[in-house]
Amino acid sequence: MTSMCRRTILAVVLALMSASAFAAQAYKLRVDGLACPFCAYGIEKQIKAVKGVEKIDVDIKTGNVIVTVAEGTAFDEATAKKAVTDAGFTLRGLEKMPAQGTGK
Amino acid sequence: MTTTPDTARIKLASLAGLLLAAPFSVWAAPITFNTALPVQKDGWVLREQFVLNRNADDPDPAADRNMRVSGLVSVLGYGVTREFVLFGVLPYLDKRLDMNMEGQRVTRSDEGFGDLTLIGRYTAYTSDAPGRTFRIAPFLGVKAPTGRDDARDGLGRLPPTVQLGTGSWDFLGGVVATYQTLDWQVDAQLAYKVNREANGFRFGNVSGLDVSLQYRLWPQQLGSGVPAFLYGVLEANFVHAEKNRVGGIRDPNSGGTTLFFSPGLQYVTKKWILEAGVQIPVAQDLNGTALKNDYILNAGFRINF
Repeated sequence: MTSMCRRTILAVVLALMSASAFAAQAYKLRVDGLACPFCAYGIEKQIKAVKGVEKIDVDIKTGNVIVTVAEGTAFDEATAKKAVTDAGFTLRGLEKMPAQGTGK
Repeated sequence: MTTTPDTARIKLASLAGLLLAAPFSVWAAPITFNTALPVQKDGWVLREQFVLNRNADDPDPAADRNMRVSGLVSVLGYGVTREFVLFGVLPYLDKRLDMNMEGQRVTRSDEGFGDLTLIGRYTAYTSDAPGRTFRIAPFLGVKAPTGRDDARDGLGRLPPTVQLGTGSWDFLGGVVATYQTLDWQVDAQLAYKVNREANGFRFGNVSGLDVSLQYRLWPQQLGSGVPAFLYGVLEANFVHAEKNRVGGIRDPNSGGTTLFFSPGLQYVTKKWILEAGVQIPVAQDLNGTALKNDYILNAGFRINF
């Protein structure tokens, strides 16, 4: 096996290992009542407190909150609803988004 | 006409309604009063507000009174539950009264912490929709006599309006409603404050109706994420103070009704808010020779944590 082939195989294996180790799952929360920047802080803080949450992206124009959690993290509707409710808002819906890497 | 310290006390007491009505809003909301918007459970918000209250329009030219109250009002809010929020309000005040007395210009003043007010607010009704919310929240509060109320100077005991505290336990209550969208927000508050007697003096009870409109000036078109907002703010404050009582007798030169218009600006981010506004009295119907207000300046910040 040539040196170039070995390097290619190694790169592919490392890439697959990396994707497996850091596979993340994203969820889209539709939040009602979110209408100003100052309000968004409470949503972020409450969701960040959920174990396994890695990233939160709030879009106040659409009321969507994209939550990325580590692989194996249980992030169900009850968990999302509690976080949103504790922030003072209303969870209208939760949907699982296609799996993605975190890019870490 | 000669004005003695006692008569000065009686005439100036009409200011109490304004000086005691410290706003306790800690949200992106009205500048001069409260809001029904939520404080997250176990979350804190801190507001620091510089206030300058100037009163130099004296119907009694012989006394030519000039009262200035400046201070830093600290408001700390804690979300006990989603619905219930506790607020603590503590002012640090510098009160100064200049006036003519027995042919001389005298100054009477005091500086320090004023009375602590604790307020509980319960969000009784919430209606959330995409990009908007409507909430109604009644509130109740108590003002403790933590500020000094027996300060003296070379002329004797300071009049009640120059004292940092009232010496009395007072109670307040009301209801606030908020309708907020991504573009604008309206708040309205109805409040009543019951003042009690201390040191033979009782400030008149104060009722107030406040309305605030906040309109997003920038950005004109919302982008993605959480952009900062610049709000233009216009508020109206209707304040009615009943007459004070001195030794149980109503003081004819105290109390009355004032209507303020209050323009302002707010810069709102996810973590903090910068804001400033000025309350301008557009109509004052005060009793007797009660001292009139010139303006109340408010400027400060709020922090989420």
